[in-house]
Amino acid sequence: MSNHSLEGIKVVEMAEAWAGPVGASLLGDMGADVTKIESYPRHSLTRPTSSRYATMPGNGPVYERDALHHQGNRNKKNLAMDLRTKFGKEIMRKILSEADVFIEGYAAGKIAQLGFDWEEVQKINPNLIMISIAGWGLAGPYKNMVTLGAGLDATTGHLSVRGYPEGDFVDTHPNFHSDATGSSTIFFAILTALIQRNITGSGTFIDLSQWEALVWQFPAILADWSMNKRIPARLGNADMHIVPHGVYKTAEDDKWIVVVAENDDQWARLCEVISHSNWADLSHAYSSIIGRLKGRKEIDEAIEQFTIKYNGFDCADLLQKNNILASPVVTPPDVLLSKQLYERDWHKTIEHKWTGPVMVGGFLWNVEPDNLDWNIPTALVGEHNKEILLKLGYRSDEIDAFYKKNVIGNKYSD
Amino acid sequence: MEQPLVDLRVLEIGGSVAVSAAGKKFADFGANVIKIEPPTISEVRKIPPFPDDNFHIDHGAMHLAFDTSKKSMILDYSTNSGKEILKRMSSDSDLIIIDLPAKDSEELINLINSDAGSSTNIVTITPHGMDGPYKDRVENDLSIFGWSTRSHRHSISGRAPLRYGPYAGIVQIGSTAAAVGIAAVWGRKADGIARVVDISGVEALMGNVDSAFFLWAVNGATQPRSSGQSRGLYPMGAYKCKDGYMLFSAGRDPMFTKLCNAIGRPEVAKDQRFIDPEQRPSHFEDFKKILEEWLITKNKYEAFDHFQEHGVMACPVLDASELQNDPQTVFRQSYIVREQPGLGDITLAGPPFRMGGLHSDSWVSTAAPNFGQHTNEILKQYKYSNDEIIALFRAGVTT
Repeated sequence: MSNHSLEGIKVVEMAEAWAGPVGASLLGDMGADVTKIESYPRHSLTRPTSSRYATMPGNGPVYERDALHHQGNRNKKNLAMDLRTKFGKEIMRKILSEADVFIEGYAAGKIAQLGFDWEEVQKINPNLIMISIAGWGLAGPYKNMVTLGAGLDATTGHLSVRGYPEGDFVDTHPNFHSDATGSSTIFFAILTALIQRNITGSGTFIDLSQWEALVWQFPAILADWSMNKRIPARLGNADMHIVPHGVYKTAEDDKWIVVVAENDDQWARLCEVISHSNWADLSHAYSSIIGRLKGRKEIDEAIEQFTIKYNGFDCADLLQKNNILASPVVTPPDVLLSKQLYERDWHKTIEHKWTGPVMVGGFLWNVEPDNLDWNIPTALVGEHNKEILLKLGYRSDEIDAFYKKNVIGNKYSD
Repeated sequence: MEQPLVDLRVLEIGGSVAVSAAGKKFADFGANVIKIEPPTISEVRKIPPFPDDNFHIDHGAMHLAFDTSKKSMILDYSTNSGKEILKRMSSDSDLIIIDLPAKDSEELINLINSDAGSSTNIVTITPHGMDGPYKDRVENDLSIFGWSTRSHRHSISGRAPLRYGPYAGIVQIGSTAAAVGIAAVWGRKADGIARVVDISGVEALMGNVDSAFFLWAVNGATQPRSSGQSRGLYPMGAYKCKDGYMLFSAGRDPMFTKLCNAIGRPEVAKDQRFIDPEQRPSHFEDFKKILEEWLITKNKYEAFDHFQEHGVMACPVLDASELQNDPQTVFRQSYIVREQPGLGDITLAGPPFRMGGLHSDSWVSTAAPNFGQHTNEILKQYKYSNDEIIALFRAGVTT
């Protein structure tokens, strides 16, 4: 009996950058059999051939050591193939005929040019679930436009509500939140379609606009405008209705801590710890929420006078022992200081041909009784070409011929 | 066409923003989602904005958006009587999503799975997970994001680290719970095994992309935090144009070359000062001047069209007032207007994806329920008599 939730589900992924590849990796984490069809001989943005980009240590080709690529491509096999060729198309048809799911992440129209839009693939396999994840979807005036997650953050209004209240957008770092949220939405969409297939007996097509998937995450941004004709203010870390609610300095240079007291009980405990217990006395203005809303500046200063004596982890430990909301603002190296992550054995060490053993973050979830594992480290370009083609019924001499004709490959040139 | 998840029954427990977002994914596509709310009022109902800034338990923006197409019942599951009801309801549920303190979640798991042979899929959402030294810690939207490495990464050196938009991280955790939850549903249908899923909010945020941990762990790189504009891999970040800002993601080739062509400066893409990784950072200001000289003559939609014609990843920075009238939004009807009883028409985000294509009928949005609107109906569904329901009401178990 299987103990992987998605065992037996065959997924074909043809996507670049993050949302699509990560969504496919999450399926792989849960036991799906995922094959990445890697563009060849053109290399993707996360397979740079130039050493001008930051890469992981090691001696192999640069395109095998790009950290951005490694971050989004665990638990899948790799077939590097030129889909513009006659044999590339033939191989793709065979793969799709046996697949359950096809994820394609190119700008609208590109997959149709290659001959694998929904109209065509449903002829190949009517049970297939195909999901297109173009930035703005497959229809509309922006359908051919290109973007990464940072562009979606800008055009959904999220960029406009984050950042320093006193700064301008130049101070606001681009982010890739849409890739993190988009990957789970892609995952959910595919499972929804698989469940539907059990009812209808046939596959379906999903048009997932990453813009729409991201907007779904932020109802309050639009609501403030549609309800109150107000553009939401950039509040930084503040909450208009909660004091204290901020990020404060610690004893270490440029290290910070979050401290929040959402109600009178938390506030009273905080006052005790920061030696301002009289601020919780009924006679003091700050003992009430209304008083605290008027005293934000003085309260923030008092908290910082306390937090600045400690490092972030010690201070958070002390406050949390008193049931006060507090967390260190963690830098990447700080992650290793978390007793919690250590105790939960969250970090993983993986072995990769060109980078050697590297420590990476763990999974998004723990599933009992499934046993999640990093079964396939980020695959090399075309690493599974032969294995996959043999399974499809091609002979070794045919596979060799595919290499010679550049139908498939396992290395990129500049 | 019948909605894809119409045969699923999902219970969400806890009333948080995260569990509401998780449940909404299922409700969007037809699942029968029951929102079991504590008598003390769910967190999701308390989050602003409210229409005209007037607080109302049924009118908060998060509730209106994330509780659509669900039923609401009020249940004090801390009482034995509440537990008895919950156990009865769990017996025919496909999935139970719980966002409560770890010790309370543990108690409910034991309750739900206490009978031999009766088990259902359960997803717990907690800040730090169901075990370990921090399992009982309390966190909120800001503090949990502090753990993610993303606050620190997306800030300026020497200035306070920043969260994202309010509840961005929390909603991401809810979406993560929905994803693994539906996988568990699928798994149980396939192999008969019920799953118990432990989601630590910190791990869900840190383990996904956009976290700085992975990049540091594998190559020791820390992101420069001197500005929102990258000084090494430029242009990356927001740049001022005639009527606002444009956001660029064009630091890597072939994007950089396309951008230089788009602004009529192809020679820049061959200039060692701007492409040699050693020299690049010290010539950031020179490049910025070149780009801004071009940008300042263009408004953002004009620049958007131009760059996209050249295949350059550049987008306008839009605010809330510009979203509904954006041409793509209008074309796809990305927002919907729906009547909310007692409130009138409200505008909400439409489907997060379109099954069957653009004009899909697989997605629904019916009004978010009033607090406890369906308590009586649901209890009757589970065969409680009128007198039993009154008894529960009088004891404060239901409302």
